[in-house]
Amino acid sequence: MSTLSKSALTGACTAVLIAVAACGSGAPAQDAKDAPQGGPPPMPAPITLSSRPGAGPGEKLFIEKCVMCHGPNGMGTGLLARRMDVALLEEREDLPADYVIQAARMGIGNMPAIPRGEVSDADMQQIADYLASKTPKDMGGTLGGDAR
Amino acid sequence: MVSKRAQGPDPARIRQARAAFQAALGADNVFFGEEDAAAYNDKFAVDDTLHHPSGAIAPGSAEEVQAALRIASEVGIPLWPISRGKNLGYGGSAPVLADSVILDLSRMKKIEYDEENGTVLLEPGVGFYDLYDFLKARGMKHWLSTPGNSWGSVVGNALDRGVGYTPYGENTSKICGMEVALADGSLVRTGMGALEGSPTWQLYRYGFGPAWDQLFVQSNFGVVTKMGLWLMPEPESLMGMDVEFDNPEDLGPLIDTLAPLRREGLLQQSPTIGNWLRAAAVLTTRSEWTDQPGALSDEVISAIRKKYRVGWWGVSLRLYGREEVNKAAYPILEKAMNDLKPLSMRPAQWKRGEPLENSGWTGTPISFPMQNANWHGGRGGHIGFSPVLPQSGTAAMAQFKRTYDRYREYGMDYQASFAFGERHLINVNAVLLDKDDPAMMGRVDPFLRQLVADAKAQGYGEYRTHLDYMDLVASTYDFNDNALLKLNERVKNALDPAGVIAPGKSGIWPGAKGGTSA
Repeated sequence: MSTLSKSALTGACTAVLIAVAACGSGAPAQDAKDAPQGGPPPMPAPITLSSRPGAGPGEKLFIEKCVMCHGPNGMGTGLLARRMDVALLEEREDLPADYVIQAARMGIGNMPAIPRGEVSDADMQQIADYLASKTPKDMGGTLGGDAR
Repeated sequence: MVSKRAQGPDPARIRQARAAFQAALGADNVFFGEEDAAAYNDKFAVDDTLHHPSGAIAPGSAEEVQAALRIASEVGIPLWPISRGKNLGYGGSAPVLADSVILDLSRMKKIEYDEENGTVLLEPGVGFYDLYDFLKARGMKHWLSTPGNSWGSVVGNALDRGVGYTPYGENTSKICGMEVALADGSLVRTGMGALEGSPTWQLYRYGFGPAWDQLFVQSNFGVVTKMGLWLMPEPESLMGMDVEFDNPEDLGPLIDTLAPLRREGLLQQSPTIGNWLRAAAVLTTRSEWTDQPGALSDEVISAIRKKYRVGWWGVSLRLYGREEVNKAAYPILEKAMNDLKPLSMRPAQWKRGEPLENSGWTGTPISFPMQNANWHGGRGGHIGFSPVLPQSGTAAMAQFKRTYDRYREYGMDYQASFAFGERHLINVNAVLLDKDDPAMMGRVDPFLRQLVADAKAQGYGEYRTHLDYMDLVASTYDFNDNALLKLNERVKNALDPAGVIAPGKSGIWPGAKGGTSA
């Protein structure tokens, strides 16, 4: 269902990973010689509710429950970038809502399952509809609907 | 009575408890479907057949936690409390005893903030990202101390003695006052919180008489429903450096250089010396470099290090506080590092008002270090082995050599760090798993047991361990025929006679008499 690509370690992915190494957050830093002039690119600040005050209901829930791993510097983004052209879930145009729910509830790849005690069925549906909002309806998405 | 050798509660008892939980918490917060139970399994388990819960309940308040405990005690159902359940590498959200019911506290997310005194009173469901957002919305006047996986709970991390990297890095030592529900459903407040209406609950740790906070840390004596925590005031400036070292033997001198600076107080943070794979496992996968099984060769290690320009060891040091003080301390730190002839040294500097380095050194929550779960390319994970060492270069080098030899003997890739406390080091090993390789997975358990035995032979014990090894590690604390474990069991039996709170946590089982569970 998704756009798989083996161009993983190029482009945006590489930029994210190099930034990770160069900023020394929890991992040893890279040699400054490898960094662009003026130092490495700054790591992005985490996306949280206060940084997107205008977020809609599904987007708010995505930020509260998911973006720590599926934001610009998150574990999920880093791992998806190894095998997909579009690693950020919010930018995907091929995410059926049902697939989002199944992946979250069962876990997928290195992602643990998200239990209903943590995210209720109603909230999960809103998150899935939000992430499916750039995906056409005939692909299981909500594009053209009123989810966003 | 719940006991160690029980197979878990029988289905009739679970049905009875389930109905009572639904009445007390609402049907929407009681989860006993097959998928519900599976969602709380340990994603990084070495043996996927172990530690399966029977279901979960999610109370929304301390009162509902009390009600759940009363029901569990009456019916005899073991509960396994989790704050957010992200204790990956140590068991995640799974219980020691199979068929326990998960007491999922992730809905409890209240934050009370005393800005003047720099304290918070948190419920267990508050994650590091939640607290970060809360503080950021109020001008970030206080910083967090975040672990490498900040997905989890602030309370849960401190209660399992997790660490961060700032001067407040030893999170459990910043706990100040708790509210705890006991097995009989009663509620106590510790320290100054025992005094009704006290304004000093989050200001003075000890109260009057015995101090109980640490008795609810890594224990199963109660369920913490609120926890006070001190936060570090935003410093005026940050100065330091990221330093890489070329050789495995550089570890000892580096520790002997940093330890006196840490003890003296010139260095107030808790730096962590990580090996090359700690950096590389986040950046790449093993198959990019070799298809050979067994531990990586020196040639492969050199190639990976060359590409990413990482040392065999690396450390990030930061000074926090007044700019004038940092400027005076920086040259001392710089000279100490230069004297060790590092491979590279990159300075870092920040002053209030400038854009902040979004890293663990500034208490910014992060999750990317967990990318090491994908080192082997497929279904992966890691399991922790973390003995406590003296702050000695000789001891650390001996531990490193002994452990590294074992990794090679068992054909495992070595990812490790040496994390400073005030007077100790913790040698944190993240043993990287390939769950698609049955031969490797078969070696993991004997390997872990060997590491525990090797450490014990030196008088070292682990500060924290995975569900699989709680009994084993508890048994290594063996002074006077495991007298401490026997004391813990006597306390357990007194406070939780039905044995319903987290049986087996830290090797403490209900119903044990005189160390029979050791």
